Amino acid sequence: MSVMESSALGAPAVRSGPPPPVGPPPRRSGTDRREWLLAAGLLLPNLALLTMFVYRPLIDNFRLSFTDYNISAPTGANSVGTANYVEWFGRDDTRTIVGNTIIFTFATVIISMVLGLALALLLDQKLRGRNVVRSLVFAPFVVSGAAIGVAFQFVFDPSFGLIRDLLSRVGASTPDFFQDSTWAMFMVTTTYIWKNLGYTFVIYLAALQGRRIDLDEAAEIDGATPWTHFRRVLLPQLRPTTFFLSITVLLNSVQVFDLIYAQTRGGPVGTGTTTLVFQVYQETFVNMRAGYGATVATIMFLILLTITFIQVRVMDRGTKA
Amino acid sequence: MKDLTRRGFLGLAGAAGVAAGLAACAGTGSAPSASGGGGAAAGGPLQFWSNHPGTSKDTEAKLIEAFQKANPGITVSLIDGGKNYEEVAQKFNAALAGGQLPDVIVASDVTWFNFALNKQLAPLDDLLAAAGLKTDDYVDALYNDYKFNGKHYALPFARSTPLFYYNKAMWTAAGLPDRGPTTWDEFKEWAPKLAAVAGADKVALQLADGSNYLDWYFQNMAWSMGGQLSKEWTATASDPKTVAAGQFLQDLAKNKWAKFSKSPDAEFSAGIAAACLQSTGTLGGITKNAKFEFGTAFLPGDGACPTGGAGVAIPAGLSDERKKNAVKFIEFLTNTESTVTFTQATGYMPVRKSALDNEAEKAFLEKNPRAKVAVQQLSKTRSQDNARVLVPGGGARIGKALDQIAQGGDVATVFAALDKETQAAIDSQIKPKL
Repeated sequence: MSVMESSALGAPAVRSGPPPPVGPPPRRSGTDRREWLLAAGLLLPNLALLTMFVYRPLIDNFRLSFTDYNISAPTGANSVGTANYVEWFGRDDTRTIVGNTIIFTFATVIISMVLGLALALLLDQKLRGRNVVRSLVFAPFVVSGAAIGVAFQFVFDPSFGLIRDLLSRVGASTPDFFQDSTWAMFMVTTTYIWKNLGYTFVIYLAALQGRRIDLDEAAEIDGATPWTHFRRVLLPQLRPTTFFLSITVLLNSVQVFDLIYAQTRGGPVGTGTTTLVFQVYQETFVNMRAGYGATVATIMFLILLTITFIQVRVMDRGTKA
Repeated sequence: MKDLTRRGFLGLAGAAGVAAGLAACAGTGSAPSASGGGGAAAGGPLQFWSNHPGTSKDTEAKLIEAFQKANPGITVSLIDGGKNYEEVAQKFNAALAGGQLPDVIVASDVTWFNFALNKQLAPLDDLLAAAGLKTDDYVDALYNDYKFNGKHYALPFARSTPLFYYNKAMWTAAGLPDRGPTTWDEFKEWAPKLAAVAGADKVALQLADGSNYLDWYFQNMAWSMGGQLSKEWTATASDPKTVAAGQFLQDLAKNKWAKFSKSPDAEFSAGIAAACLQSTGTLGGITKNAKFEFGTAFLPGDGACPTGGAGVAIPAGLSDERKKNAVKFIEFLTNTESTVTFTQATGYMPVRKSALDNEAEKAFLEKNPRAKVAVQQLSKTRSQDNARVLVPGGGARIGKALDQIAQGGDVATVFAALDKETQAAIDSQIKPKL
């Protein structure tokens, strides 16, 4: 531990009191053992559950990815070596599905974080009725994706939907959200951003409310413009929150299934809105190729692992800078 | 490095959780218990997993009540198995991996074969014979749809065919006779007149899209033009006659004579489409919702109508005692009286020959000429091509190809790719198990 600590205003302060002891701490074997036992007692049940319900299925999934396992024949899987992986890399639809996953994930992560932050900044002000608005913004997050997917079908339906009604009032035609791949992707992405906005908003709002007011005051005294205040004072303080959100929203977005199932079933044109996680479902439960589904799941895991690793490194570098 | 390690651990653990969730989806390959599951393991009521085809939940409950009255000591629980046939199949797959089996499931024309091929459905012939139940009264074409290697794996229950629905007012305005087209060429002649009458926001023909059973309706187009999606276990979508049918579909879309949607009955009932192809099972819904006079007709192309819908099946992993009770139940569910009740409530077809001699059914059909058309069309039906109903993922695969065609893809190229995919599935997933 450093002997220097930062004061509330950022100026270095000299720590008072006696200097820290030098040399190895005295041996306290009885206390150490008790601490170890306590730690083990607290950790082992969780580790056992994690092993049983997280790591064992993970390993099982990896094993199944080298088989031709049919979901309807639980005991009849044969080894196929790396054939499933070779097939995935060589298939025509792989590029489309990976592209869909990237578009959907990054659009939802970036837009829901930007909008969540904007809303949090707005509703952090002392406005009349802000608590009601906060509740309204957060509400969609707790509704199930399937329910929202079904409800939004009535918004986007090109024959009967709300958007059609609004566009027809200004004489514009309605895009066919269910038949055109680009518009279908727009529909599922927009719907998910709407659902997820409450989450990013609440986390950013909590971070804003826990910020250091003295820095705001200092910025005001220095005559900082709102933009400078946001960029130089608020944003650096929100960095850990942004990092946390970027990981959690990314992991949530990449796993979205219920909403896509309810709205498009991965279509139109078969793969118009099929993401990797939807492909896992499609191959496992529709094409009955659970072995191939496990392959897609494994590839998806490796991609996520890489992205998370990069995020951690980038954040770590930023923290050190 | 201290921060990196902590964050790294959290991040990696999160990512591991993602894959673990996906792994859980794929199942772990455990076998179902030999004694069966669900109701069987508990010695409780028979569990009947249904998606309530044709919004038949109340009717199913009524039939269950009648069964329980006729068979004291056997009780049945009606369980929501999903909103469509595919969801029932997915739930059954989960049950196979988890070992908790239902006693009876609704198995569609598209889902039963994969289970039979993998020995997850009980052959019914011996069970029916042991219970002294005869099968010669079932409509032969419908009963034999579930035949594989000389044995039957389901009894016909909610069986349907597509029907041609048309808006009589639009028909009259277009100067067309009060009937459906006898061929698709005739419809092509009528389409411009219907489109002119319908106006800019409306359409001559509404069809389901590729995610909503367009593949089923396309069977009729392909057959009526001499094509087929497969012959036995050989994919034949590239056959010039099937390609011509695909080209016909594309022409309908290109000329804006046809539009595609999730549920064409909604557009038709709202008066947005002059005609639509839909299941006989939606007749009840359209009758209720359409505020105009409409007619039903045979599909274009004589003898080119596919059967469809679902049967009821029994899992192979149940105990003999449970199977004995389950077979009694499915026979009751599909006997003459039950089929009359069910078909009148939903619009599905009678699955018993004797149902047509039933006085109540005769009176019903006299009062409901549209339903009579569906019953009369039964003699014009044929079983679907293996590529759609017996190959895993067949419907979705063909639907995707048809979506591509409807959106302007080169028909020959799309169907060649479809054949390649279908044949690969047949060779890897079916042939080794035949």
